[in-house]
Amino acid sequence: MFSTRGWIAFGLTLFALPAMGQSFRVQCPTSTITHPGADNNHEPAYSAATYVPVTGTADYTSGKTGPVNGAIKCQQISGGDGYATMADGTQTYLFSFGPLSGLADIAQGRPGTEFPSVFNNPFPVSTTNFLVPGDPATTVDGVGTSPISGGFLQPLSPGQLARLAGAYNGAVGQDYDSADTFTIYDISESGNTVTVVLNSQAPFQLGDQVVIAQGNGTDLNGYVGTFTVTAVNVANGFFPPNFAFQYSDPATGLADVNGSSDATASYHPAIDGHVDPRQIMDVGVMNGNIPAPLMAIDEDDEFFLTLTNVGMIMRPDLFEQHTVHFHGYPNASSFYDGVPDASVAINIAASFTYYYLAPEAGTYFWHCHITPPEHLQMGMVGQIYVRPRQDRVTSPTHLYAALQTQEGDLRTKCDSTTDILCSNPLPAGGDNLTTGGFTGDIATSKKFAYNDGDGSTYYDVEYPVQMHSFDPNFHFVGMTFNPEGFADMKDKYFLLNGRSYPDTVNPDPLQTQSADGVYHFSQPLPTIINIPAGSRALLRLSNLNVTEEQTLASLGVPMQVIALNAKLLRDQAGNNLYYTTNSITLGGGESLDVILDTCTVARTDPSQQCPAANLMPKGTYYLYTPNLDHLSNDAENFGGQMTEVRVN
Amino acid sequence: MKRVLPLVAAAAGWLFLSAAQAAAPGITGGTGTPSFDLTAAPAYITQPDGQAVYSWGYGCNTQPAGFVPAAIAPPPTGCPTMQIPGPTLVVTEGDTVTVTLHNNLPTPAGNTSILFPGFILTSVCPAGQQGLLACEAPPGGMVSYTFKAASPGTRAYYSGTQGDLQVEMGLYGAIIVLPASVPTVCGTIGSASDGLPASHPGNNKAARAAWGESDFRLAASAFDHPDTCYDREYLFQFSAIDPNVHVQALAQVTAAGNCTAGAAGCSLSVPTEPYHPTYFLINGRSMPDDMDPNYAAQYPHQPYNGNPHMHPGELVLVRVIGQDRWQHPFHEHGNHVRVLARDGNLITADPTVASNLITYSGAAAGAAALAGPLLFTTTTTPGVAMDGIFYWTGKGLNWDAYGHNPASKDPLATLTCTPDANGYNTSAPAAVNYYEWCQDHDKPLQVHPFGDVAGGGPATLPDPNLFTNGAWYGGSPYLGPNATTRATGPTGTTPPSGTIANPPTSEAGFAFMWHSHDEREITTNNIFPGGMLMMMLVDSREFVIDESN
Repeated sequence: MFSTRGWIAFGLTLFALPAMGQSFRVQCPTSTITHPGADNNHEPAYSAATYVPVTGTADYTSGKTGPVNGAIKCQQISGGDGYATMADGTQTYLFSFGPLSGLADIAQGRPGTEFPSVFNNPFPVSTTNFLVPGDPATTVDGVGTSPISGGFLQPLSPGQLARLAGAYNGAVGQDYDSADTFTIYDISESGNTVTVVLNSQAPFQLGDQVVIAQGNGTDLNGYVGTFTVTAVNVANGFFPPNFAFQYSDPATGLADVNGSSDATASYHPAIDGHVDPRQIMDVGVMNGNIPAPLMAIDEDDEFFLTLTNVGMIMRPDLFEQHTVHFHGYPNASSFYDGVPDASVAINIAASFTYYYLAPEAGTYFWHCHITPPEHLQMGMVGQIYVRPRQDRVTSPTHLYAALQTQEGDLRTKCDSTTDILCSNPLPAGGDNLTTGGFTGDIATSKKFAYNDGDGSTYYDVEYPVQMHSFDPNFHFVGMTFNPEGFADMKDKYFLLNGRSYPDTVNPDPLQTQSADGVYHFSQPLPTIINIPAGSRALLRLSNLNVTEEQTLASLGVPMQVIALNAKLLRDQAGNNLYYTTNSITLGGGESLDVILDTCTVARTDPSQQCPAANLMPKGTYYLYTPNLDHLSNDAENFGGQMTEVRVN
Repeated sequence: MKRVLPLVAAAAGWLFLSAAQAAAPGITGGTGTPSFDLTAAPAYITQPDGQAVYSWGYGCNTQPAGFVPAAIAPPPTGCPTMQIPGPTLVVTEGDTVTVTLHNNLPTPAGNTSILFPGFILTSVCPAGQQGLLACEAPPGGMVSYTFKAASPGTRAYYSGTQGDLQVEMGLYGAIIVLPASVPTVCGTIGSASDGLPASHPGNNKAARAAWGESDFRLAASAFDHPDTCYDREYLFQFSAIDPNVHVQALAQVTAAGNCTAGAAGCSLSVPTEPYHPTYFLINGRSMPDDMDPNYAAQYPHQPYNGNPHMHPGELVLVRVIGQDRWQHPFHEHGNHVRVLARDGNLITADPTVASNLITYSGAAAGAAALAGPLLFTTTTTPGVAMDGIFYWTGKGLNWDAYGHNPASKDPLATLTCTPDANGYNTSAPAAVNYYEWCQDHDKPLQVHPFGDVAGGGPATLPDPNLFTNGAWYGGSPYLGPNATTRATGPTGTTPPSGTIANPPTSEAGFAFMWHSHDEREITTNNIFPGGMLMMMLVDSREFVIDESN
């Protein structure tokens, strides 16, 4: 309950704010002014714009005439260090982010982004059930039954997989706040109304839950219980009105108790962002992932990302901050942009929560922005994508009309004649109804990469693929307390989602024994592109290596490039500028979306069933880099930036 | 890993100068048939680690006809005889341009020349001067090039003689061709019609006048196209230096002495591979030098800076050229860039298809729809020039960036926001919150009220003791000095005043890093920060952007 410090501090010249409360915290409100309802734990269908332009309206209240869209999403990550396993068996030291929410989802290759109902659900601690270092890897291995000596075997056994699926997905550390307690001077009842006078100013607000209790005494018998405050600032015969409050108690006839020795009024223990730091340190330390935890949100979501800086245990000489830069967010705020020079950066043993309304749909990515040549090379890179409103429209066969609905809200409008940065104007092809367009005859769940209005970015399966590379010398120097040379960087491991071939096709999370002797899931994401023959796969490609441009080629399955840098490839007149190729080239800090269509003849309507005669033959195809020296794992002349596309 | 101490020590006096802005300064050669009298000459350029790097660059043999833009005072010592990048040549579409080059490089360097990619030369090369790619000037000699500036846009020029060495040594520059027929909707600079209509993002003329801000543009539009109007412009040329090449060149030049051109041994044999650059430059300077003023006295051979500023809603023309052998993914924090053109070629949909003609707001007739991509990372590619338009408005933040507080007694905290057809507050050009995104007006960010900023929002900020502030942190999450001082007091939550580059009481802009995303290139000789890095500031209207220094 930290509601007062701002005003107290405001009068002070030097702003020596009182250091209050603990430093690790999480934030995940169950409702906000943007999402005021009680249930923000699912994505409602998109049927109308939230804000409809009304002439002369001025702010967020008067213009809001439509329904609430989107939901609230939360995620917690650690900033620290860890180890990863390279495809030649080498263990590489990382500066890295690790999951502190969605542990089960992350370990299964899914985003660790959760609704409040999941995020705010504390881990059910008991004498036999608690989070331990290395979780969920440790628990998957079976706590107490087989102490980890040499790690567990790949592939994971069915029992291990079952335990993985059942692992905890909430915010690690989330716990009930210890209640703030105030001593009672006098408590009395009139009818059903109880008046409580505290020995200090009463902090309670109307509607707060208040717990009346006492220690060993018994004079409050009858009063003890949990109640809802019905009045504050109550005139009384003892102290100023703001020392008193009232609530209603079904019991009547309780006697006045004055000067009780141990009577107290407390807040109800609540989930309010308070965390148990032991859990965070147990799970978060040495728990780095490469790539960093996957994030996914939907347009209109509010996203609360808590970065908890657990410190880098292998580098006790460093007191590094970490940040999150949401790379490519349009109209970003400087404060939440994660550039330490332009904003603030969270110190070790503390948490910072980033807040964004989801930007326009697209494939973005994120990374630490502290000393970027070092922290990116060392592994602090991850993926985030935003799913389009079009996924949630009620009638997927009328996508053009749905895009017109979006044009009804100035925030989601895209008008080429007034906005040079508008990327998805209404498609030149016109309404589906008149052109044939997207009929949606095969899929029950409609998924699109962008708000295209014509269904052209429809996909059946999606795979985020992040290109990266490591210079083992730089990582070794970084682990051994030596100054690194930036100009000398020479990458030797070439990665897709933090792994080189053949690890890219290992379906399980890779684990690495870290310097704490415990096995951690270090590289949770495989890069196996499974595509049912005749269907379409969306590859969300990004590159965060820090030294050179890299090319990724597709053997056999053509790549249709539909977007660059999280923007649909469409000109201002609405013509799609997609192009088909078998290779794409990205520099560090770029992203691109491609669709792999396993129907050999292009469909005018991507939702049409691929005729049997046009199905691409089942089998294994490849994604690989034609930078041929990158098809290696350091000294091994084999592997590198390569993976399999399995048409099945 | 903190390796900044040497830099911080060195930076005490000049790292955090905050008053220098950028624009795209250049030289002119007269009206109609402009001519430029250039020279190629050696000099030392400086790097922030204290190194002086022996380099070759283009400069002015005689002083140019003029300097542009008019709002920037010409350099006190005139156009130098050597500068990196070379003088930016500013001409107008349709001009017949003559460039004369005098070769004042050391004799052993041999011939030199200029390539003008994208232009068709009409000049005839004198006998004996034709090199492999270009007509060349022998040591001590000269050469002239004449071409018609047939179409507008930004293009590179660079040496066409032994480019692997001469371009690396610094022989490159930019040529900007201004459009001959600026669309009416864009207005005319300095006239009553200057500025876009309110129906189009733009219309910043009135705000500029209200705050007494000068106009630093070279033109009102980048092309003869109504969707290329702009309010502000910057030119960034990316290049790298491998100091070994420069050391070798100097050693061989020195050893050869005053040799005679063509005599045995009067030549250079400088290896340019393996290539191992350690300095990474924007406009010839490394960070933080690039954020010092244009024409700063301490950089006599590096006159151009990189220190972009803008106000919310301003359309900012970004001219970017790759001037070295590598690609540099240039990441613009804050928003996307609409690519207008590559090498001066405007990218549009096919104008012969009627449905591809769209009528831009305020324009009289349809024009071909722009078709360049929208990018957050604009890769600079060797020899390639790009024109693009960027803006920042804060649209969709979901909180009031100005921290307005209806309950405040401060009149600036209770300003109104009247949305135009696009949702922006453009009806009151003199207001601090000109161009505010009205849908989020008064919408709080913070859960708890903090200072004179309303509570009730979604986010709780950590105790300030728990985070570290950056030198460009404006002091609060909010935009502008009024919002920041209301939120946190006159010092903000920044470090002790006087060491910050974005003071809470006078600027408090939103700072964004614009940099190469090959992150090792934001270093200077292995020291971070440095290299290809600059801070872009979005300033509220209270802060007067002055690019004249």
